[in-house]
Amino acid sequence: MTDRSTLLSLSRRRLLLTASALAAVTLVATTGLSPVLAADTPKEGGDITFLIDSLGDTWIPNNSAISSFQGHIWGHVTDKLLYVDAEGKVSPWLAERWEQNDNATEFTLHLKSGVTFSDGEPLDAKAVVANLDIWYAGRKNEGINPIGLFPKTYDRAEAVDAATVKVFFKKPTLGFIPTLGYHGSILISPKSIAQPASAQADLSKTAGSGPYVVESWKEGDHVTLTKRKDYNWGPAAVGHTGPAFLDTITYKLVSEPSLRVASVQSGQADVAYNASPQELKSLKEEGFTVATPRYLGFVNGWAVNTKHAPYDDVKVRQALQAGINRQEIIDTVYTPDWKLATSFIQSNVPGATDQSALLAFDPAKAEKLLDEAGWVKGANGIRAKDGKELVLTIHSNPYLATSKSVDELIAQQLGKLGWKVVIRAYDVVTYGEKVKFGGAAVPTYEVTRSFIDAGTVAGILTNANNGENWFALDDRDAKINELRDSIAGAGSFDERSPLLNDLQKHVLDQGYFIPRTQIVQRIYVQSPTLKGETYNGVAYASYYTAFIAD
Amino acid sequence: MSNAYLTYAAKRLGQAVVVILLAYVFTFVVVSILPGDPITSVLRNPQNGFSEQEIGEIIAAQGLDQPVLVQLWHSLSGFLTGDLGVSMRSNRPVSTLIAEVIPSTLILASSGLAVALFLAFAVAYGTQVLPKRYGQGLLRAFPSLFQSTPNFVIGLFLIHLFGFQLRLFRVIEPDSFWATLFAAITIGIPFSAQIAEVLIANLDHEAKQEYASVARSRGIGQRRLFTRHLLKPASLPVVTVIALTVGELLGNSLITETVFGRTGLGSLVQRSVSTQDLPVLQAIVSLGAVVFVLVNLIADLLYPLLDPRVKMVVGKKYRSTAAGEPSLDPTKAVNP
Repeated sequence: MTDRSTLLSLSRRRLLLTASALAAVTLVATTGLSPVLAADTPKEGGDITFLIDSLGDTWIPNNSAISSFQGHIWGHVTDKLLYVDAEGKVSPWLAERWEQNDNATEFTLHLKSGVTFSDGEPLDAKAVVANLDIWYAGRKNEGINPIGLFPKTYDRAEAVDAATVKVFFKKPTLGFIPTLGYHGSILISPKSIAQPASAQADLSKTAGSGPYVVESWKEGDHVTLTKRKDYNWGPAAVGHTGPAFLDTITYKLVSEPSLRVASVQSGQADVAYNASPQELKSLKEEGFTVATPRYLGFVNGWAVNTKHAPYDDVKVRQALQAGINRQEIIDTVYTPDWKLATSFIQSNVPGATDQSALLAFDPAKAEKLLDEAGWVKGANGIRAKDGKELVLTIHSNPYLATSKSVDELIAQQLGKLGWKVVIRAYDVVTYGEKVKFGGAAVPTYEVTRSFIDAGTVAGILTNANNGENWFALDDRDAKINELRDSIAGAGSFDERSPLLNDLQKHVLDQGYFIPRTQIVQRIYVQSPTLKGETYNGVAYASYYTAFIAD
Repeated sequence: MSNAYLTYAAKRLGQAVVVILLAYVFTFVVVSILPGDPITSVLRNPQNGFSEQEIGEIIAAQGLDQPVLVQLWHSLSGFLTGDLGVSMRSNRPVSTLIAEVIPSTLILASSGLAVALFLAFAVAYGTQVLPKRYGQGLLRAFPSLFQSTPNFVIGLFLIHLFGFQLRLFRVIEPDSFWATLFAAITIGIPFSAQIAEVLIANLDHEAKQEYASVARSRGIGQRRLFTRHLLKPASLPVVTVIALTVGELLGNSLITETVFGRTGLGSLVQRSVSTQDLPVLQAIVSLGAVVFVLVNLIADLLYPLLDPRVKMVVGKKYRSTAAGEPSLDPTKAVNP
């Protein structure tokens, strides 16, 4: 009714304005120009302040590189061998090119020359070998952890000459190349790597080769980065390789979300991190830039414990899959910036296929499946079988601020079908202790997890090679194990893609994984004068190419 | 300084050491019986992608799987030799972490104390000097009002008014002069109430004494009476109030630091509690115990110097010689 009256009240003047605006947009779109680039050219100089809710725990590079908070700083202070963009496309960076053998067990990386760390050390083959070794093994007794998602099939690396590195794996590892663009794979000076853990934990003592260096920092307070004037080896994919435009970037810790946003609104800061989804619409209307880049990884959803009754019954799992109204989650808790899940991996991951048909909301189908499985609705609306109620205990994910709101909505949706849903919310420490994949009291584990290469997924889902056995299947499902082995052994992407498609279909059809929504883990609210930032495959904003427009 | 004075001081110091050690062990036990530790909880972050087996290996490599008593012994022996250990969360030496945040907290606490004293004395002055019909009653209500307003409410109000509306300071620069002043006001207001209450009560008491009546009958003005005669005896108990509420001041600094976004001891405590960073918590609790014990010790030792009627008598106890009645509580010193 409102829409109709608005339409009717359109004056001729408004129509003309709307039509001209539409025409302008079409013109810009068809000429292939991005509006930002067309309007502004980069300008040297300027300082920006980025307000963030935490700066994480430790600065030991291996222990902090994949943290959601420290990753922002590492992204400016260090470089990677390869660049992975928001669509998962891999392109050269400090490795200019690379080759692999037929079965993906040996890789040769050719490095860019003339690259140096900020402590003066050259970034050569020896430095890369030192980095690969510490990513794989860490120094556990000192408190330097390995990079958890670095391929566990790593054998060794050799410096063939100053610019060539040869890397050997015990088994085919197609995922190695994309992993080099992952946030854990940051290159650190060998001198910094050799330091003991307590020195590595002092951010000012760690040298990287990135476009910025640490000027000052105080734990729990701020990190100020200043531009490196001799930087000349940026990733070609971002369209700029010379020194950064902005002079300094200050990451300032402000724990209160409303204070972060209010500071940007009042012009006291330039970027606010992790604003609440509900605020985004009005902020956009006020003219602020709102970025909700998606990362490459799993969607937000549940890994179902197939050993936990009644979820050991495929019909109950399939009823759960069909009983969730995912569109309502986006409409109620989020904004249209969040996308519907189309698989259990984000749709921008290379190899993700559209399995929407398996995820359609169909309450009638869900009720029918539950009836077939013997769960009968009682007078109180809750289904029961053999005197036991149909209960689902869910543990809200403490790493995702909106998790509990989504849980509450799903509880309502499932309640209508006859489910009794119990929501438990723990703090991070308790959650880590009590809630585990396939845990005795954990029917569903809520996943938020990034990865760069879909090839690693199958290994995580099952129990092979230290896999995490997400669905507690052990060896009970021969098909998923078969798919895992063929995906791990695939020597090319063409060979792997159909196998990945089968895996996605199988996992969703069996109700092993119940997607909720695609995930936006990082939300940026930015001053309209700051332009030109880029977002990589793990949704980190890089201000290397950013500038302040007049 | 008499021998008795030194013996007394030595005994109090000995008690202080025991209190500090007990605080250290108590913190260890309390934090250890809670489930989890910072290292495991970081490793368990699903983003890290470690399996339980790998987590077990890392934990064992760092000796965290050893029995609690062995870990307590390691930590206690380090503490006794002056080594506060390394933070489990950040891997940096605990002494560095504390040294980094102490100046900010000291500035906040001392300026908060200054604001509190200023406010308390101003209110107390008003209650004595202002004529009854000109708001004396209102002033007397101030301490209860100050006491009952939570300091985060005051803080948020000041930030909103002076930070966002009047733009007197940038909210994201909490160490600037203006931001520090408003943080000091935030922490000082509730604290001033406690001082003012004691001060006003004592001033009222002193004002009824004969010497005050004599002074008044000799034509001395109310202001002069306040500054020359009433203030000194009435402010003596303030020393005890300050000493007793130092712990509270540190506790309030935690909230104020969080509201204003200052990085001080309070925010370090907050980060350490939320991650169960045992070495840092133990160091801070021990430090708190040291400060609390020291401040009270200083107050006790300062008392004989402020009030000549309270002096040391051989026999290890303070005695108020004026009335001849033994008293360990300086606030109970009997008036002539």
